[in-house]
Amino acid sequence: MFIHFFYKLKEVGVPVSPTAFLTLQKALDKGLVTCLDDFYTTARAILVKSERYFDLYDQVFAFCFEGIQLPDNDGLEVDAMAQAMLDEWLKNPKTLANALGVDESTLADLTPDELIDYFKERLNDQKSRHEGGNKWIGTGGTSPVGHSGHHPGGMRVGGESRNKSAVKVANERRYKDYSGRGPLTQAMMGEAMKRLRNLVPSGPRDQVNVDETIYRTMKNAGEIELVFDRSMRDRLKVILAIDNGGWSMDPYISMVQTLFDYARAQFKEVKTVFFHNTIYDHVWEDPQRYKKPMKIDDFIKRDPDTRFIVVGDASMAPYELMSHDGSIHIRERSGKPSIERLGYISETFDHSVWLNPVPESMWGYTHSIMAISKIFPMFELSLDGLEQAVTRLMER
Amino acid sequence: MTHNRESGSRFSGATKYVLDSELAAIVNVSMALEMPLLLKGEPGTGKTMLAYAIAENLDMPLITLNVKSSMKLVEALYQYDTLTRLNDSRFADSSRDVSNIDDYIKMGKIGQAFTADKRCVLLIDEIDKADTDFQDDMLDVLDQMQFDIMETDQTVKAVNRPVIIITSNAKKDLSDPFLGRCNFHHIAFPDPKMMRKIIEIHFPGIDKTLAENAIKSFYTMRELEGVEKKPATRELINWFRALNADPDFRSKDLVKGELPFLGVLFKKSPDYERARNIGSRRRLF
Repeated sequence: MFIHFFYKLKEVGVPVSPTAFLTLQKALDKGLVTCLDDFYTTARAILVKSERYFDLYDQVFAFCFEGIQLPDNDGLEVDAMAQAMLDEWLKNPKTLANALGVDESTLADLTPDELIDYFKERLNDQKSRHEGGNKWIGTGGTSPVGHSGHHPGGMRVGGESRNKSAVKVANERRYKDYSGRGPLTQAMMGEAMKRLRNLVPSGPRDQVNVDETIYRTMKNAGEIELVFDRSMRDRLKVILAIDNGGWSMDPYISMVQTLFDYARAQFKEVKTVFFHNTIYDHVWEDPQRYKKPMKIDDFIKRDPDTRFIVVGDASMAPYELMSHDGSIHIRERSGKPSIERLGYISETFDHSVWLNPVPESMWGYTHSIMAISKIFPMFELSLDGLEQAVTRLMER
Repeated sequence: MTHNRESGSRFSGATKYVLDSELAAIVNVSMALEMPLLLKGEPGTGKTMLAYAIAENLDMPLITLNVKSSMKLVEALYQYDTLTRLNDSRFADSSRDVSNIDDYIKMGKIGQAFTADKRCVLLIDEIDKADTDFQDDMLDVLDQMQFDIMETDQTVKAVNRPVIIITSNAKKDLSDPFLGRCNFHHIAFPDPKMMRKIIEIHFPGIDKTLAENAIKSFYTMRELEGVEKKPATRELINWFRALNADPDFRSKDLVKGELPFLGVLFKKSPDYERARNIGSRRRLF
């Protein structure tokens, strides 16, 4: 039973497993499901394992049991926006009409369904003319409609489900806000970076070493001798190098700030240094990059086990990276091209990564990103990327 | 038949817990299937309280395993008390039998739940705190409902399969094999209607206008932009307590935009500042 439903879920990308499906059959067998409402909740609890897929599940459910049309993949967003535009239209027809540049009266004649179709058409139209079309509406500032964006926690809840049929509940798509990728908060960063630690014994000897105690006791012919050890503490050394210069990093400041705050709170021995675009002979300990320079050559004196984390967009003119005296700052003249310097750092510290706030899909378009990613393992500054970076940093 | 038997022990809410019917259905299905139920959701939406409510409603003992970051699974299963044994072997003044290792094995929380002579509720709280190893090790235990005691080569098998509730605060997902063995539910933040019920249950006979006004201001404060830790149900309940305790407080003040005891709702200083600014700005108009 419901095999079609199961495969439809799989098809749209909800990770469902055959075992879970068998469990569902077991639940049906036991007579736990007596109506469609029960089926909706039961099947969701058993088949879907993350709230991120609740929205997709709702849509598939509505499709399979009520014949609601399943929006094609890229249609999803357009759908949501068209709906938002309709809402806006109902509130204030004039503003919307102005924003779209059409006469209010032409729209007024249309039925709601026709209106939605019209909006969708407009949106699709935009898509073909504009790269990443959703942006066009919304960034203009005057436009009343925009991408619905993130509503962290601001999800609308559909009230008590029992008063409505499951299909209706499903069709409300209550979990829509969970399906997107949320913004990176400090808590989430903590989650990802939790595994970044290096336990070494330190502090007072207050933990009993059981094996050693038994051994010593036996040696003493049964006279108990307790052996104490130091407990394990986190003593990871981290150098965080942040690109804080130039406008190219501006959009990412808040994200980097979060990372920085977290690092300060989490690690005892964290050294934050700053640079602009790329590293030459010096990095600076003060954000103005003026008072306290620090020689790259001195890095060799540091513990090679230090984790070296660079945060920067790695986007610059190729000569800044490749040529001698490539720095855009006139006072910063060094005999070696930056790329050699970066290579030197990555050789000094075995565990080093480069976190890039630029989305990974865009890396291929920038030469300097490609060049640097050959030296440092580069990861996107997102939850997934952070997690991969941490795994990389903790490798032996 | 089975259905009838189990309907005798269906979960239907507890005295201090407002249950939405969807969650009730999921709890009942998980109990019937004898599968663990994994609960996720914002902090303060009552994930942990659910386990208490089930225990109270079905009159089962509740065993809580508070997961800690450095926890190994063995600690949750059983502990072999080597030092006591060593001590006993040296001084021999206890009633325990030194040659019998069993005397020195203490059951951990999961072990207690398995060996209890009555079906109980096992709450594994905040599983995301532990390493992924912890979760992976737990797979088998939950799947087979049994574990081995290495020292004595015994197998402890669950006498009565406990009702297992697992909570997680993590934004990221747990490992796939782990998820495969659980049922899943995400507790959404209650809507104002639900919240009114929750408040009524916690404060029977509370002044209606006060409740209404406070809940309204509470939801406006949740909507504030850029607040990192949003106040949740727990904070709201505490806020009500604070408001009740203050003899000078009038519920009219809330309508005027005055927000006393903000520290109860906002625990982070930037959040607190922001909320206070909004409050005082509103008072100007």
